[in-house]
Amino acid sequence: MMRRAAWLLLPALALAFLLLGSGLDFSYVIPKRLVRLGAIVVAGVCIALSSVIFQTLAGNRVLTPAIMGYEGIYLLFQAVLVLWLGTGSVALLGAQGNALLSIALMLGYSWLLQRWLLREGRGDVYRLLLLGLVLTMVLGTFTQFIQLKTSPGEFSILQGLGYTSFNRAQPAQVLYSGLLVAAVAVLVARGTRVLDVLALGRDQAIALGLDHGRCLRLQMALIAVLVAVSTSLVGPTAFMGVFVANIAYALARSARHQVTLPLACAVAIGMFLLAQLLVEHLFNYRTSVSILVNLVCGAYFLALMVRTRGTP
Amino acid sequence: MITLEHLHKVYGDKTVLEDVSLTFPAGQVTSLIGPNGAGKSTLLMCMARLLPASRGRILLDGQDIGRIAIADYARRVATLRQVLDFNLRLTVEELVAFGRFPYSRGLLTADDHQVIDESLDFLGLQALRRAYLDELSGGQRQMAFLAMTIAQRTDLLLLDEPLNNLDMKHAVQIMQAIRRLCDEQGRTVILVVHDINFAANYSDHIVAMKQGAVHSHGPVAEVVTEANLRALFGLAFEILPSAHGFVCNYFNPSLSRELV
Repeated sequence: MMRRAAWLLLPALALAFLLLGSGLDFSYVIPKRLVRLGAIVVAGVCIALSSVIFQTLAGNRVLTPAIMGYEGIYLLFQAVLVLWLGTGSVALLGAQGNALLSIALMLGYSWLLQRWLLREGRGDVYRLLLLGLVLTMVLGTFTQFIQLKTSPGEFSILQGLGYTSFNRAQPAQVLYSGLLVAAVAVLVARGTRVLDVLALGRDQAIALGLDHGRCLRLQMALIAVLVAVSTSLVGPTAFMGVFVANIAYALARSARHQVTLPLACAVAIGMFLLAQLLVEHLFNYRTSVSILVNLVCGAYFLALMVRTRGTP
Repeated sequence: MITLEHLHKVYGDKTVLEDVSLTFPAGQVTSLIGPNGAGKSTLLMCMARLLPASRGRILLDGQDIGRIAIADYARRVATLRQVLDFNLRLTVEELVAFGRFPYSRGLLTADDHQVIDESLDFLGLQALRRAYLDELSGGQRQMAFLAMTIAQRTDLLLLDEPLNNLDMKHAVQIMQAIRRLCDEQGRTVILVVHDINFAANYSDHIVAMKQGAVHSHGPVAEVVTEANLRALFGLAFEILPSAHGFVCNYFNPSLSRELV
């Protein structure tokens, strides 16, 4: 029942987002909104899939891939760019150049991290988490250090990049991000049964005939692509994935990824749409999507916890 | 069946298994017994391919297990480790269905459904098939996991302390099920068990381990003797025969002083 409602709510929200107060202006307002809608859908899918898969691999429901330092490396890169090239860095590289470089950098970081830690088939997730957490903090400190060297104008640009926003995305970027994510989503969809087995833990997965090390590396690579795309598109989302994933688990009442993954995508897209609608029409850009998402999702998640008495 | 040749397992400079060579008899229940830290679980994990051995080989029907694809291995050897904190929202039926993963990779066939049904029947779990695992008692949950392992339809089952944290009734149910697996279906079961009385009354064969090496092994009657158990555990044992098997008594400290 709840699930069907969630699926019906989504097109309604999307339509409202496109048409509300647009004056049916198909030449400017609606195309602009379509780009933002595209960014919301792509980022929503990225965050939902990466968070649910990451939680399955880690066997932990309070983590998101943000703990691995992907977003830390993105922010550090942006800070270096601004320090090096000044506020003109945006114009100099162009938004496309920046996004592609960011994606390449995050993928390279993830590849190094995995090569270093998961070599020789050692599939120790906890070491990976610990190292990721430490690196996140180190990267954050470096970023802060660089920010101290920037001028107030440059600093405000950097601060803006630290928040999730759907207004930065360019049409071309949304397009190639969407294609990349669609390809990853196909791979994920084909592997949902393997994910179900991975959720049982390393030992049981091996006992059921999975090459655990290989599966782990593949899934971590998929997560890296998803996080890189969403971060370069809409900025860091930090722990929003925790809300998305846990709300999806609670609504699904099943641990099967065939159910939880699409539901998590719907939850993520729905909540971003709602937040963006509120930002545009109610708050007139005086607040950010990050703040609203955390507020709305936090409240909703608490309500779910209370209603199901702590067993979502 | 399964044979170990000069198996060594070393962590850093700590030797956990030292030169273990054994053959486990096919179609029998073998219990691994011994004090904590004797290497029983490590030995089982090496056979399950959850841990790589440092040296030596393990042969399954004469074939080095390292040369068998892991997906094929899961159709020949099923492993059940201790079920610790498990927080997935799965029904008993969904869990048992995982036992068919090595065959159908998650897309269940009519054949798979039949095997799942039979496994549930075998352990008397039909009434619980739609119950969620987090709503079950520890004993029922352990039965559900055993049903998954049985549904793998392997000739060899490796069970790591299947009686851990179970009450007496569930422990007896599990051991009876293991006995029936062997007697009715001709499967080979190797399990780590801490309760010497369960090991003595339900297995055919016993391997006693101490400090990473095989202390003694053989049919139950040869290994379970007062002198041998005293040497193995450093405790005085009194073996009391009864009409239905026998009981190993090691509970009386006063007795130990007399005998040791």
